[in-house]
Amino acid sequence: MRLFKGSSGVVRVTRGLGQLGYSLPDKPWLVVAWKELVEALRDRRTIVNVILLPAIMMPIFIALPMMIMSPKTVPPRIMVSIQDPEAIEIANYFRELKDVNLTIKVEPVNVTDLIINQGYDLVVEVPQGFYSNVSSGGSGVIYYYYDPYQMRSTLAMSLVQEAINDYSEKVLKRRLEAVNLTEEYISPVQSISVQVTAEGEQVSPGEIMAAMIIPLMVGIIAITGAGTFAIDMIAGERERKTIEALLTAPVKRIEILLGKFTTLTLLSFLSGVSTIVSSLVGVSLMVSPMAVPYDNQTAAMATQIIEPSRLPLFISGVLLTVVLGGLTGNAIMVMAASLAKSFKEAQQYVGFLVMILMVPMIAVPYVPQSLYWLMRLLPIASLAMLARDLIVNPNWTNVLTSLAFTLLYLAVFLVLSSKMFDRESLVFG
Amino acid sequence: MKVLEVVELTKRFGELVAVDGLTFHVDKGDIFGLLGPNGAGKTTTLRMIYGVLRPTRGTVRVMGVDVVRDPVKARSYMGVLPEESSVYPRLTAEENLIYFGKLKGMDEAELRRRVKELLEALDLEEKRYVIADKLSKGQKRKLAFARAVLNKPPLLILDEPTSGVDVMSAREIRSLIRQYAQEGSTIIFSSHNMWEVERLCKTVAIINRGKLQHLGSVEELKRLSESKEFEEVFVKLVKGEVGEAV
Ligand SMILES: Nc1ncnc2c1ncn2[C@@H]1O[C@H](COP(=O)(O)OP(=O)(O)OP(=O)(O)O)[C@@H](O)[C@H]1O
Ligand SMILES: [Mg+2]
Repeated sequence: MRLFKGSSGVVRVTRGLGQLGYSLPDKPWLVVAWKELVEALRDRRTIVNVILLPAIMMPIFIALPMMIMSPKTVPPRIMVSIQDPEAIEIANYFRELKDVNLTIKVEPVNVTDLIINQGYDLVVEVPQGFYSNVSSGGSGVIYYYYDPYQMRSTLAMSLVQEAINDYSEKVLKRRLEAVNLTEEYISPVQSISVQVTAEGEQVSPGEIMAAMIIPLMVGIIAITGAGTFAIDMIAGERERKTIEALLTAPVKRIEILLGKFTTLTLLSFLSGVSTIVSSLVGVSLMVSPMAVPYDNQTAAMATQIIEPSRLPLFISGVLLTVVLGGLTGNAIMVMAASLAKSFKEAQQYVGFLVMILMVPMIAVPYVPQSLYWLMRLLPIASLAMLARDLIVNPNWTNVLTSLAFTLLYLAVFLVLSSKMFDRESLVFG
Repeated sequence: MKVLEVVELTKRFGELVAVDGLTFHVDKGDIFGLLGPNGAGKTTTLRMIYGVLRPTRGTVRVMGVDVVRDPVKARSYMGVLPEESSVYPRLTAEENLIYFGKLKGMDEAELRRRVKELLEALDLEEKRYVIADKLSKGQKRKLAFARAVLNKPPLLILDEPTSGVDVMSAREIRSLIRQYAQEGSTIIFSSHNMWEVERLCKTVAIINRGKLQHLGSVEELKRLSESKEFEEVFVKLVKGEVGEAV
């Protein structure tokens, strides 16, 4: 397709694509759908809204905060002030720390100046007498000075704490050996956590993220993504005074609606697919070793987001969410845009609906399991539950319940939207 | 043969009776002018005829088909130019016509021929590949006219077809109207241009406050009001200075 729209407004297209040609099929709904698509494609905002925005939004929302927080990206600045000349061993532990920007001084430092004015994330102070306390069987104290408003300070503390834990453990071992005790003796209870999933295996953090976030993100985008187009195709057609002539064509209104609906659904499907791809990229960036380098388990499992044997179910679950979410969302948006008296009003309705519709989607991961049955029966929530049931825990009773209710609501919204589209006020506001 | 038959047609908007018990018919090949001052109910009447407004009472039949009962069939006999109607700004002039040609079920060869013919007749040939957003107001109006007459339907419903177009184009539109009537189409249109009405119409209906005030040929109305100037005829009749209302 080569579409050229110069300042003269001349549109030249080499082939039939992206153009309304004479050889269009006769089916009215197809004619309407194609014309809406051509119009949508000629609007630059379309590509931005449908493809670009979801594509960059997901990695930004999911991965960017993690990337920025990662010590690999910007190592936290840490000042260690060792005022005890005997504390040589712990100093070595500090020196071995990775991914930190570490300065060691042997004299006292001005903590306030370092943190407030010089941009240090953390100041660690090893006071005089530290080593003698440790070596005499007592407790050596280390001070952390940090900025409570800085997340990076917390990160720096957790990094330093690892070095301190290692040192502390080594000292403890020495002490226990001296009195002939084992480590088990002083930790009489240990806890071990084991994942329980329907698959009966361990799942990677990537998979957990993917299973929880992706269907919801995709659902939200599918439901709300085509809102601006619904406004354009219905309220916009009235605003530009084309709808009256259109409705005099010898075509059933329902066919016109069907055509518009087809294109809307195609657009939200594209949006949804773009979101899937970008969410996967976002999740893999997030769980990649680069983002969380100090957790070995994550690093090992991060290479894989979805276990290959579960991939078909995952993809079909997500695609079903996209299609059903797109249909449901568009039916609701068409309703709103048909009801609105003006373009502005349509924008307000749709903006409001976008927020309302997102609530059940976002709520699903936080709802207690005892209320899942209710979520499966509620509009929109049933769709979110369908995605979850399919991907996380494919129990067929649950899947069919949420599917049945999703379809029921879809039918209701479709009937209502065709009723709204049939009103006299569609033309006259 | 009655191509259009309107019986007791009434439309209320809340308290306001915009159209009040109109009864008239238009025969095949007739050019029927619907006249009346602003707010008389012309547009409301035409909108009920082409079926975007539901009558509160009364019926409209086009080629014997009830517009409310079988809207799709009734509309297949019509070509409509609404009063305030525009074209799709992101489609070219040609595409705007193709879209409606396809919706009207025209076959490809016929559609090609008509698009070419109309663009030439209305002096829009060089705007063929230009998106309609870049057309002038009058050019858009001409395009909307072309859209209405694209498939030469039996009944043309035109709400102020020449308003806003230049002298040459208005003349071209009038000559097309006359030509289609000669070829057997029936035309009902509203206008505020009495000169135009006088030259085009076989039959004229004057409505005022939703009611039919006078109905007859241009000559009959001239005789009734004892004036030669049609504009004067209109003013006298609307003011009720002469003649009996029908
Ligand atoms: N959708 C509507 N809702 C409420 N009132 C309306 C509506 N459409 C028209 N009216 C009223 O009905 C009356 C007739 O309006 P109409 O548009 O039919 O007049 P008209 O004869 O076409 O006038 P003009 O010559 O100005 O075009 C007017 O008083 C108008 O205010
Ligand atoms: Mg009018």
